[in-house]
Amino acid sequence: MRLTEFITTDHVKLELEGTNKAEIIEELVELLVATCDVSDADTIYEAVMNREREGSTGLEKGVAIPHAKSDAVGSLSIVIGVSKNGVEFESQDEKPAHLFFMMVAPTTESGPHVQAIAKIVKIIKIDRIRDMLIKAKKSEDIVEIIRRVEDGEIA
Amino acid sequence: MSDINPLRKILIYIDGSESSILAAQFAISMAKQFSSELRVIYVVNENLLNELLKAKVFVQMEKMDYERDLEEDGKRYINYVTKLADRKGVKVETILRKGVVHEEVAHEVEEYDCDLLIQGELGEVLSLRDSFYEEGERILRKVKCPVMVVRGQDRIEKLFDEL
Repeated sequence: MRLTEFITTDHVKLELEGTNKAEIIEELVELLVATCDVSDADTIYEAVMNREREGSTGLEKGVAIPHAKSDAVGSLSIVIGVSKNGVEFESQDEKPAHLFFMMVAPTTESGPHVQAIAKIVKIIKIDRIRDMLIKAKKSEDIVEIIRRVEDGEIA
Repeated sequence: MSDINPLRKILIYIDGSESSILAAQFAISMAKQFSSELRVIYVVNENLLNELLKAKVFVQMEKMDYERDLEEDGKRYINYVTKLADRKGVKVETILRKGVVHEEVAHEVEEYDCDLLIQGELGEVLSLRDSFYEEGERILRKVKCPVMVVRGQDRIEKLFDEL
């Protein structure tokens, strides 16, 4: 599976405006509703927030992967957001999160969901690529960076 | 001429991808043609789930939840392949395991003593580091029997339909 099958420029929002976790998740859910097959935004928001209550998905080095399973999406849905200022996200290194990958999959699509998460983790572990994503100036750049990684043009 | 069947036993590795189901169709076709015994294996990638848990992307409960989901997926894919084989009058044994995928497949290859392992198209490998993540690639390197990587959807579907 390729992430770029799920991510176009429409699925990317630079300049996230939220200043805390709840606002960022709300903003990403709005993007998900606008760009993906979503039947109920509130259900998605609650599913993602419930997952965050079990343990923050804020990782290290400015990245968070809020995710959940919910049948309020028709298929695996991914959106990406960037906050230039960074947001407190209860991250593992206690530093602000800048780059957000939100992923929601129907309960029947756990396989692709796990694969997509693993692939994102693999990409963001590479310092140079993570920095390129955080510093991207246009949505096109984000999609292009992911495409180039998937095509083996950068690593 | 020797009458030894070089394809006495065929093992199919499926991961639920379209490509692996296509590989299963080809394996069924071969098994019918060569009167081979056929076994299908699906492995819940417990190793990947553990890595995501270790990276703190998953919490423990969530990991267990996904593990159950993947097991159900595995059963569903195996049932699908069994039905495909039934349709062509081919018997297939089924194996569902959990663990490190390439190790479980290699173990099964030895235990079953198969003559051929058939799998779907390999995932894209971006770098040597990536090849360690790509299970198809790892299987190819690890198993001690001939391996067939199946490609060519139209050709195989046509062959399967006409069987």
